[in-house]
Amino acid sequence: MKKTITKRLNQSLLAVSITTLLSSGVAMAKSDDMHQLYEDNCSSCHGSDHGGYLAPALNSETLKGRSPTALRTIVMAGSFDTLMPPFYGKLSDDEIRGVIKHLQATPKQPNPAWTLDDMKKSLKVYVKDESTLPDKPTYKIDNIDNLIGVAARGKYGRGEGARAIFINSTTHQKVGEVPTGVAAHIIDFNPANPRWAYVKTDTAEIFKVDLYSMQATRSIKTGYNGPGMGVSRDGKYIMAGSFVPHNAVILDADTLEPLKTFELEGIDPDGKMVSSDSGMIIGTPYADIFAIALENAGQVWVVDYKKDGFPVTKIEKVGRHLHDAFLTHGGKKLMVASYDDSIVAAIDLEKREIIKRLPAGCVPHVGGGSAVVVDGRTLGFGTNFGDCDKMVVSVWDLDKMEVVKQIPVSGGTESPAAHANAPYVAVDIISKDRRARTVQLIDKKTLEVVKTLDVGGHAYFPEYSADGKFLYISAGYNGDEVVVYDSNTLQKVASVPMESPAGIFSRGRVKYMTRGLSPDEMEQSK
Amino acid sequence: MKMRHSVFMLAGLLAAGSSQAASLYVGHAKAAAVCSQCHGIRMPSADAPFPPLGGRDVEYLKTAIKQYRDKTRVSEIMNAIAGSLTDKDINDIAHYYGSVKP
Repeated sequence: MKKTITKRLNQSLLAVSITTLLSSGVAMAKSDDMHQLYEDNCSSCHGSDHGGYLAPALNSETLKGRSPTALRTIVMAGSFDTLMPPFYGKLSDDEIRGVIKHLQATPKQPNPAWTLDDMKKSLKVYVKDESTLPDKPTYKIDNIDNLIGVAARGKYGRGEGARAIFINSTTHQKVGEVPTGVAAHIIDFNPANPRWAYVKTDTAEIFKVDLYSMQATRSIKTGYNGPGMGVSRDGKYIMAGSFVPHNAVILDADTLEPLKTFELEGIDPDGKMVSSDSGMIIGTPYADIFAIALENAGQVWVVDYKKDGFPVTKIEKVGRHLHDAFLTHGGKKLMVASYDDSIVAAIDLEKREIIKRLPAGCVPHVGGGSAVVVDGRTLGFGTNFGDCDKMVVSVWDLDKMEVVKQIPVSGGTESPAAHANAPYVAVDIISKDRRARTVQLIDKKTLEVVKTLDVGGHAYFPEYSADGKFLYISAGYNGDEVVVYDSNTLQKVASVPMESPAGIFSRGRVKYMTRGLSPDEMEQSK
Repeated sequence: MKMRHSVFMLAGLLAAGSSQAASLYVGHAKAAAVCSQCHGIRMPSADAPFPPLGGRDVEYLKTAIKQYRDKTRVSEIMNAIAGSLTDKDINDIAHYYGSVKP
């Protein structure tokens, strides 16, 4: 994720045009102060270890030879077409100069430790006695599955605008907002108890959220960053994984207390022992297991959470640079994307072995993935960043595990949305020009692009409402709204304003496991 | 009577002319590319120190942006950013932000 996203981040041209105008201020603050300033303003995107995360690495190596004046302009004005906000007026000129000087002199830091004890100490309790909470939603909603959660980043990736926002997808009204301090990144719902959701932020804090009263009851910091999080089918455990440091943890889903950490390391497909970022983590409805992808080690680990000591089965040589995945066949099969091998690997979670490796464009990023049943066949849809001439969405027959078609789309894509009741599969075009405003729709039957929606902003992360009647799309940074379309007519029906919305997560996902499947598919897992 | 009528007509034409010349769509696109990074496409970030433009008086916005562009009103950052805008850009942008309901 780091590498690919960094590649896509452009630097602002407009910003450069104002560089020459500014030249004053001398005083440089001390290095300690500058370190704190970096932590408070920059590290959630650029990494506490200065190694990059959603945004490029900032250290003495990566910034070598860069003009401090040009860097200062980017910090002041922000970088258009990226998440980088303008710090003019937020930081003083001396602070901006100081932090740039500090960064150009600071090497990438070693992977900092974040141990089980650190996690325990970070546990915060906001609601002491959860039995005092209301026993049903305090707002009007017919079915809790109709909730849609949006990870609003806030312009600065933190602050007032950073919150998890919940919408009733039948009325398109906000029904709750939970401030998270730092940008919300992932929202997972408890499959066993409809009142709980879990929100993970860019700085790897996990909030336990009561959806009935729309407030956080507890939080814990599980690392410095990394998006991986999954909830067990019985709703009793959460597993979370980090990029920094290289570990994963199993938490008690009720108290958020950490139970066991796992050091992520292993032999990569090239035979080298490596320490590894955590990729996706998923709880499957088919068994009492978590699956976790080790990005750099190219392995998928299966963890039995009901067995003593949480034993691990390692599936090796899955692919180079693994990232995200989705489930199929009642949760028995897992489709894992490998960026560097340009494939999606199908894994049999029962036998704990690789079934097949399928072509998937050039840099496959499946997001939450999608699978739909069309004329008796289960088709999987895989998006890909497309930093090459293969700007395609891959369609696989998940029964036969073979490619059905690679559908040409207008640019790189990052997340597909499908629903059993909706005629189209939506994919977000993320190429950095006017195309970023758009989402394309693929007809499920003909497997052709039939329509392009001009959503505005940087449109991404489409998601259908639980009933499939509405398509929700984030207009992203500079869009500052979630736009709602009718799934059949594709007419815009609503706009929900918020600051820099990103991922959209329907509670319906717990019902249909993978977006696009019917709840009947879940029967296969029982 | 006739005179007043034609004055109204003229005023009407001028108003129509001015609003026809401004394109909200183009203004929205221009605002997204030039202004929204700081001022937001509707409202600035709750955490941002920048003034809101959404819902402000169109004539006021036009005058202010032109002053920044022509450097008769001094702000190092605004003088630089507004410097490249044409009269038409400014008209479109001002009408767009003026049309936003805060």
